[in-house]
Amino acid sequence: MSDAPTELGELTITRIFEARPEVVFECMTTPAHLTHFWGPIGMSTPLDGITIEPRPGGRFETVMVNDETGEEYPTRGVFVEFDPPRTFSFTEADVAGGMTTAIVFNDLGDGRTETVTHQTNVPPMFLSPEAQAGLETSFVKFDAYLATL
Amino acid sequence: MPHDPLSQTFAALADPTRRAILVRLAEGEATVNELAEPFAMSLQAVSKHLKVLEAAGLISRGRDAQYRPCHFEPAPLEAATDWISENRRIWTERFDQLEQHLKRITHDNDNNKETEP
Repeated sequence: MSDAPTELGELTITRIFEARPEVVFECMTTPAHLTHFWGPIGMSTPLDGITIEPRPGGRFETVMVNDETGEEYPTRGVFVEFDPPRTFSFTEADVAGGMTTAIVFNDLGDGRTETVTHQTNVPPMFLSPEAQAGLETSFVKFDAYLATL
Repeated sequence: MPHDPLSQTFAALADPTRRAILVRLAEGEATVNELAEPFAMSLQAVSKHLKVLEAAGLISRGRDAQYRPCHFEPAPLEAATDWISENRRIWTERFDQLEQHLKRITHDNDNNKETEP
């Protein structure tokens, strides 16, 4: 696993899986698969709370349940892109003022798949190359500063 | 400008001049005049940026009516980096579990193959 440097308002996670893109894509977009892994540690994602309408504009909804407290965390996403087995993206209007998650599935040609997950809640208009370049250098400085607090 | 604090923080930080102002203020407080100088900007333009930063809670202004020095306030930035690390944790754990799930389903397929001649 390798992660790109963290940038403000953005998250990029790169992973390599021991399966073909078709399989990984299907796992990430099928309720019967999602229920096995979608919740992070300590959370379950019951099958009956998952709604997937596999098309642009379709719903991508889950309910994560805290295993200890039973507290429910519903997520309401809408697919922007749905292009199996290459990529899908979805937006969640009610998370941090609007968040977009895009996952690209790269076929490594040897039965493995590299996924690049990019999450941002910075509105696209702010994502100019200039803004990006500045963002990175400032953030390195801020990180160093925060470490001293 | 969005109203929830996190979006306001990200929107305020999306502008390179505002980030540069914050980097300067992280070194110590400064007046509007002191901030305007290195950026070759009008006081009015700098004031506009300061208003956005102040609304996002990233800076506070002194009460001294004449100078009103600006201070860097790190709390919203910490909330923003917390948000990023929390999401990083969720996705990392999710993918760890997907890895296990993939192992299970491909292992099942292998078992099925073994039963074939």
